[in-house]
Amino acid sequence: MDLAIFGIVWVIISALAEWGLHRIGRNTMYFLLTNQGNIALHAFNFLTTMLTPVFLFVIWYLVWTAIRYHAESPESRPSRVQFNKNGLFTGIWITGSIALNLLFWLHPTAADLEQMFAAQLPSVNKNDLIVDVTARQWEWIFSYPQYHLTQTVTANGQDELVIPVHKKVEFRLRSYDPFHTYDVEAGVIHSFWVPAFGIKEDVIPGETRYEYIVANRTASYQTNPEVRVQCAEVCGPGHPWMESPLRIVTASQFKSWVAKQQKLQAAAGS
Amino acid sequence: MAQNVVTPTAVKKVRIMPPMLRGFLWAGIGFVLLNSITAAIRPDVGHPFFTEVSITIGWIGGVIGWLLGVGAYEGMILPLFGVTPRIQAATDWRKYFAFATEHKVVGLQYLTSSACAFILAGGIAMAMRIELASSTLYFFAYSDRYLSAVGIHGTIMMFSVATVALVGGLGNYMVPLMIGAKTTVFPRLSGLGQWLIPAGVLTVALSPLLGYWTTGWRGYEPLGSQDASGVIFYYLGVAALTMSSLIVSLNLVATIVFNRAPGVTWARLPMYVWGVLTVSILNLIWLPEIQMAFILRLLDRLVPLNLYNATGQPLSDLELFWLFGHPEVYIVVVPAFALWNEIIPVMAQKTLFARSWAVIGLIFVMMLSGLVWAHHMFTNMRNSEMFPFSFFTEMISIPTGFAFMAAIGTLWKSRYRLTTPGLLILMSMFNFLHGGISGVYLADPPVNLQVHDTMFIVAHFHYTIIGGMVFSWIAAMYYWLPKITGRMYNEFWGKFLSIWIFVAFNAAFSTMFLVGLEGMNRWVPTYPPYLHPLNLAISIAAWTLGVGFVLHAVHIVWAWKKGPKAPDNPWGGRTLEWQTSSPPPDHNFDTEPEVVGSFYVYGEHAEPVLAQPVKPETT
Repeated sequence: MDLAIFGIVWVIISALAEWGLHRIGRNTMYFLLTNQGNIALHAFNFLTTMLTPVFLFVIWYLVWTAIRYHAESPESRPSRVQFNKNGLFTGIWITGSIALNLLFWLHPTAADLEQMFAAQLPSVNKNDLIVDVTARQWEWIFSYPQYHLTQTVTANGQDELVIPVHKKVEFRLRSYDPFHTYDVEAGVIHSFWVPAFGIKEDVIPGETRYEYIVANRTASYQTNPEVRVQCAEVCGPGHPWMESPLRIVTASQFKSWVAKQQKLQAAAGS
Repeated sequence: MAQNVVTPTAVKKVRIMPPMLRGFLWAGIGFVLLNSITAAIRPDVGHPFFTEVSITIGWIGGVIGWLLGVGAYEGMILPLFGVTPRIQAATDWRKYFAFATEHKVVGLQYLTSSACAFILAGGIAMAMRIELASSTLYFFAYSDRYLSAVGIHGTIMMFSVATVALVGGLGNYMVPLMIGAKTTVFPRLSGLGQWLIPAGVLTVALSPLLGYWTTGWRGYEPLGSQDASGVIFYYLGVAALTMSSLIVSLNLVATIVFNRAPGVTWARLPMYVWGVLTVSILNLIWLPEIQMAFILRLLDRLVPLNLYNATGQPLSDLELFWLFGHPEVYIVVVPAFALWNEIIPVMAQKTLFARSWAVIGLIFVMMLSGLVWAHHMFTNMRNSEMFPFSFFTEMISIPTGFAFMAAIGTLWKSRYRLTTPGLLILMSMFNFLHGGISGVYLADPPVNLQVHDTMFIVAHFHYTIIGGMVFSWIAAMYYWLPKITGRMYNEFWGKFLSIWIFVAFNAAFSTMFLVGLEGMNRWVPTYPPYLHPLNLAISIAAWTLGVGFVLHAVHIVWAWKKGPKAPDNPWGGRTLEWQTSSPPPDHNFDTEPEVVGSFYVYGEHAEPVLAQPVKPETT
């Protein structure tokens, strides 16, 4: 009897939750606009789909205990039903948890990692737009070596990252301080994060890291505040302000922006 | 025990100043002495009197002075040379404010230290939430103050509350009682360990005196080595606090292995004792490792060694930190798992379900916890490294689940008494489930790469630590309050306040998952304005939670002093601590208990636990 009521309610609330989850669908991680972001989003939704019944099983069980099994009086009296094992329940629980975890390891983890790292093979990244990203305390510096741009800035002189939509971008991440007066290798760990990209990569002094992104729609900080470059690893008192605006633009807009930056750089005499 | 024989000749006893006062005085003397010697022998001319090196060595003198001053001089040094101390040992309340070796006194001292540290670091968290109630910097003068607050909050909470309260505190108090022992094996280690806690907490809390440090509780290099000098007091404070847990663990493991009463076999060992045993073994394995890592950081800064900058290898510091850092989170939560299955059978008066699986769960969590550390560093990895660490991280949820399995099986068709501890245990399971389920997401690298270093992570580990460990700690305090004090709390206020903190906690930290997903990074006193409404909500809930914790403390202290008298065994518990009077006598048991039955079998199969009663029948 207990089993039937508990089970039926569990199935109903799980179904309702899955239906609600399906309705939220693409927005569970709020705002992602890259290939990598899609991998993360699918993994997130798959895990949620699988874990919702598990989560609700325990939550509902705790509520069930408090409602159905609570003692009316505080006196010390043995429970009427006593048992210390149940092979069926233990067996289902243990094989179920092993199976579920092996599943998660194979999918999404193994499947996604294969996809993710296949996208980073040099053979598939021959004609990328290269952006050199230099993290210093506390500034993101963006250079476009293919266009001979050493530091791109907005009209206010603030560092700015602009990338074209639907084009594979290779970010080369380094942490050092080109403006340091005597020790350009002085640097700490930063983390290059655009929330809307769905990935972050630590930037380590003495190493060069690569990150490959294809943005699948135009956007900017004005259209969604998750479109910004943000340092995610604490790097000293300037860390909270180590951010930069980011614009994802069409190919023609990108071309005119590059021309403007080149003119600006020539005028600055660098 | 020849050295303890008191000679009948009248030794003239002398009184000394209060031990803690003497501790402060001797600490000052020790610090100035060693600092001066270091300053005097330093070869270069014209250096200041206080340098980072001299402060480090002076600090060692200060801690030694403090430990000797609070009573280790009479308790450990003099007996070592065969001298009988001439001072009057306190027998009244003063014994709680001096070096002690009686395990119940030490346990209460540890609990008090942890509770004070919890209130202190919690207060710092409240200051952080004031700042985060606005998107601009308005409460702290500058972000380095805020980041110091973050670091001090995390360090004190981790190393003097989460690691300590259920091991040094309740472990010292309860383990000997639960295994039928009169004392611990190395009581002086526990006694000394207790007094390292205030030394470490004060060191970390006062670190801003040397300059604001910005690394947070993890102290990543190379940022740590270029931070202000305050980071040195973080290194040293952690050294003191980890040493405290290390020597206490040594004592507790030895006690559990060697001091069990006849009949307390491994197959009968109480669940909580299993929890303390596994966590103490984790401490013995991993605390020396983190101490070495912190010594390397300190030397890297003082010498300097250039281990962790661009010419060295910054990642090795991260690896060394998390090699300990992940076992640490299980150090925190394993005793909480054990508490669930300690308290639930008593509240239900029902046989513990699948006891051996629950124990196997604790042991496998202990073993697997050393294989998962690098999932804190997925943002630094290639496929070949992500894959195995993701595997072990996902697998550790299996033994973790055994704690849930045993609890659920025990609760099934039970008659569960929803007393305050009973309620708090269910709440702790509810909260830890959130922490555990969000951990499955974090084990998946693509999701992890997005939510790593965001408030999602902050919510996740607060769910495991506050939700799992702190709720269980409070449950245990209510559960054992009649044992420790002989008095009972007020059931209405206990439940009311428990619901209070449950609602406030979940409001604060479930919202924190959302701000993390919305793109709020960690370690920031300011953030883009679109995150403001949710952060304001979190701040309000967090303050409500803070007030709730303080009210719990007030209620427990009230019950301790003024609560109604409780019977010796108010819950009908079968473990040994309930077989003696409440509060327990100095020697714990009148006669050595001999255990002949299981502690967790109820109903018609229940046999008597003891061969004969261990306390005299009260008439």
